[in-house]
Amino acid sequence: MALILIRTSPRKPKKGETVKLSVVVRHPMEPGTRRDEEGNLIPAKYITELEVTLNGERVAFVRPSRGVSANPLFAFKVKAEPGEVRVTFRDTAGETGEKTYQLKVAE
Amino acid sequence: MNRRRFLKGAGLALGWLGAARWLPARAQADAQVPSVEDVQDLENLNKGLKEALGITFDRLEPSDKVRIGAPKIAESGANVPVEVSVDLPPAEIKGLHCFVDKNPFPHLFTTEFGSKSAEAYFATRIRIAETAPIRIVVETRDGRYLLASHVTRVTVGGCG
Repeated sequence: MALILIRTSPRKPKKGETVKLSVVVRHPMEPGTRRDEEGNLIPAKYITELEVTLNGERVAFVRPSRGVSANPLFAFKVKAEPGEVRVTFRDTAGETGEKTYQLKVAE
Repeated sequence: MNRRRFLKGAGLALGWLGAARWLPARAQADAQVPSVEDVQDLENLNKGLKEALGITFDRLEPSDKVRIGAPKIAESGANVPVEVSVDLPPAEIKGLHCFVDKNPFPHLFTTEFGSKSAEAYFATRIRIAETAPIRIVVETRDGRYLLASHVTRVTVGGCG
């Protein structure tokens, strides 16, 4: 089961301040070129689509490939506003993941 | 000479000694990082460019509007941090694409910015098979392809 971590830097920004929004997904991102101990190819399994929204509007849409590291990190910049950050992804096996995060701002 | 002047002088002298030791070391480290031309592989890069964008290297315009932050030397190619910022409003960018010349699959990712992107900024971590240029290609809404290149020297490749 994929775990998605979402955080902002600074953690509690001022309203309207530009903040870095970081997303880390626990995912093997198997490139399909590695072999196990018996020398068999480990089949490819990597994230192909990841979307980040803030209050229902798109921050960014990423199409990663097998060249992105295991447990990938994706970071973006948004203007801080109170509300919901939502991250969704899909991988080559059709598995999906979703996570929301409440963005709080200092007035 | 009073104590204050002595300390100031000694501090300066030590500072210069430090700088003198540091400068050659740094120059040496730079010398170990090859130039883009030394390690590029345009044939393999073109394979990725054609697959992802249907274009070849000669369509790309080198641009200082695109900036790449990545290490010069990476111990492991399995997890190389890459940070990209573009001096353009996100709305003028159709796609931000990343390639690495010598990776078996040279197209690494594409990012599209939405209306909630405050800046054309993106960071991630990538795999680099061997020492090669990282290429960021910014596809603008008016049909241009802006290019920035950055060589990362890799001690242990990240694709095996």
